[in-house]
Amino acid sequence: MIAYLTNLATLATIFGILAASLNLLIGYAGIFSIAHAVFFGLGAYAGAQLAMLLVPDLLLACLAGGLVAGALSLCLALPALRVRGEYFVAASLGLQMMAVTVFSEAHAFTGGHGGLVGIPLASLLGFDISAPPTFLVVCLVVLALVLVVIRVLMRGSFGRSLMAIRDSESAAEAFGKNVARLKTLAVVLGCAMAGVAGVLFAFYMAFVNVESFTLEQSILVMAMVIIGGTATLIGPLVGVLLLLLLPAGLSFLPFIPPTEIGSVQQLIYGLAMALLMIFRPAGLAGRSAGQR
Amino acid sequence: MLQRRTFLLTTAAGLAAPAVLRAQGSPYVVGTLFPMSGPNAEYGMLFTNAVQLAFEHIKADGMLKRPIDLRAQDSLATPQGGAVGMQKLASVDGASYVMLGFTGVSKAAAPIGTRSKVMMVNGGGVGPDLAGLSPYFWNVIPLVNQEVKALLPWLRQKSLKRIALIYVDDPLGNSVLEQLRKGLPEAGGELADTYSVPPTAQQFAAVAAKVRSVNADAVYFASYGAQQSQIIKQLRDNGIKQQLLTYSAGSIPSVLSLPESEGLVYTSQAADWSSAQDPVTQRFVKDWRAKHNSDPSIYHQNYYNAMRLFALLAQELEKAGTPVNGENLLATLLKVRHFTFVGGEGTFQDNGTLELPMQINQIHDGRAQKIA
Repeated sequence: MIAYLTNLATLATIFGILAASLNLLIGYAGIFSIAHAVFFGLGAYAGAQLAMLLVPDLLLACLAGGLVAGALSLCLALPALRVRGEYFVAASLGLQMMAVTVFSEAHAFTGGHGGLVGIPLASLLGFDISAPPTFLVVCLVVLALVLVVIRVLMRGSFGRSLMAIRDSESAAEAFGKNVARLKTLAVVLGCAMAGVAGVLFAFYMAFVNVESFTLEQSILVMAMVIIGGTATLIGPLVGVLLLLLLPAGLSFLPFIPPTEIGSVQQLIYGLAMALLMIFRPAGLAGRSAGQR
Repeated sequence: MLQRRTFLLTTAAGLAAPAVLRAQGSPYVVGTLFPMSGPNAEYGMLFTNAVQLAFEHIKADGMLKRPIDLRAQDSLATPQGGAVGMQKLASVDGASYVMLGFTGVSKAAAPIGTRSKVMMVNGGGVGPDLAGLSPYFWNVIPLVNQEVKALLPWLRQKSLKRIALIYVDDPLGNSVLEQLRKGLPEAGGELADTYSVPPTAQQFAAVAAKVRSVNADAVYFASYGAQQSQIIKQLRDNGIKQQLLTYSAGSIPSVLSLPESEGLVYTSQAADWSSAQDPVTQRFVKDWRAKHNSDPSIYHQNYYNAMRLFALLAQELEKAGTPVNGENLLATLLKVRHFTFVGGEGTFQDNGTLELPMQINQIHDGRAQKIA
């Protein structure tokens, strides 16, 4: 049981980092990206390749994953500068679809559809951190760092400027804010954090393939942020706990026959989500627009 | 002193007795890790129905002294779902034997199962990268390269020399490509042209146009899931009249029931339901038809065999008085190797695959018939 809970907690922590990084885009900058799994994947592949070809050091892999995802996030930042709202959603959808094809075809970097198998056990500055409880602690530390960085940034002028852009881009521009620079910075930062989450995911799973970085994954992470509550530090984490732990909890129901387990779980899960959105439209930990 | 020792021993035995008794009667936990929701739920249902029939047969025959507790986990057909499900089966449910399918799920679950010393058995994925995945990971199914090898003599016999290949760009498709590229010249044929398609593609009209221009003797397609039916339908709709060929994925109900599948030839392990002589196969087919009012598919056969394999291994361990756990199940498999399965005698190879007799089937009126 402890191994299972550790496994769930580790995945929840990794997805917590991923959801918090998307919250930076959606919640604070108003950039509705449905291509976040792409940057999660870029980090995962970069970290895995570094571990397999050079050294399985988590710190170096996180740097590599963050850098690759951050640098390639310009693919997302460029359309974000020109369009917003539903137009940007369509642009990010295009990026997501293109990336899945690239991940499937770029055999040398991603292993194609078969993925990368046999990612070595993680170490940190020469110490073995592969034991599940140790790896969980490392993931929690990274999550704490990410949350501190987001909190510090969002309380400063950068965060206030981002929120001003989110609420009214033209008003922010009229007040002298450099909208293009601020948006680009937000995208680079959010995607680099997603890349770090990807590195942790790759080391933890010891296997990555394109199936983990699809549109469904992007939508799941977006649902975590929205259901938990956007523009709050705790909201995405609540969303992660709910969306990851609810299906896991439902698997303990003893009365579901094996042939019906999937459909019954999905029904309960879907109903819970619908009710939640009816009664808590701003998310579980969210604040209404007037309170922000 | 003696009295005190006797007292302590008696007390310890008394305290331990309920646990020992409980252990003797506690069921063997066997897990399934199939997609039970989402677009691949059809497969999960196919696999589970087969496992349940084998489960009923094992129970009816009294093969094991203890009952089997079957625990299901929904893998969602994703690596992440596979990892979470495998972890629960291994560390919460205490499963010593888990049946699973789908390449991504298998690859994500294998390290967890290996760490927990759980024996894992695949009966769905036929990609060659599933061979040798882990010492605890076994396949009760011949992999796709073995299927292609079995087809080559038939192609020669039918004078089908120029073959066009449509393959999904993943380890499965690439393995078929490699095997045909190597095997066709040896069988007096040639690969007329090859067309790689992404695993998510659903539109094949452009590919069909290219295949037409090549004018090959036959068209082999290597794909899976909903793509199989789409390829068949779109090839026929676009005027491809040549012989269509594929591997055991041609046996799924959605392909069999498709009118355009008429005449399709596919390879599979021995599964001749109409003239099977061995009692294991006869009983499987008879009971399946009675229960489901249809013929079983290759996947039903595989997962029936996977469940049967557990019972055969556990039976050996019970005879030897050895605990039934993942380590001992694996040791018994490595020792015995040769088992009587549905479809014939099967021998497990060192690379984790099963060698079974192969056959060639053709679809007529929505049913598969053995032709070679």
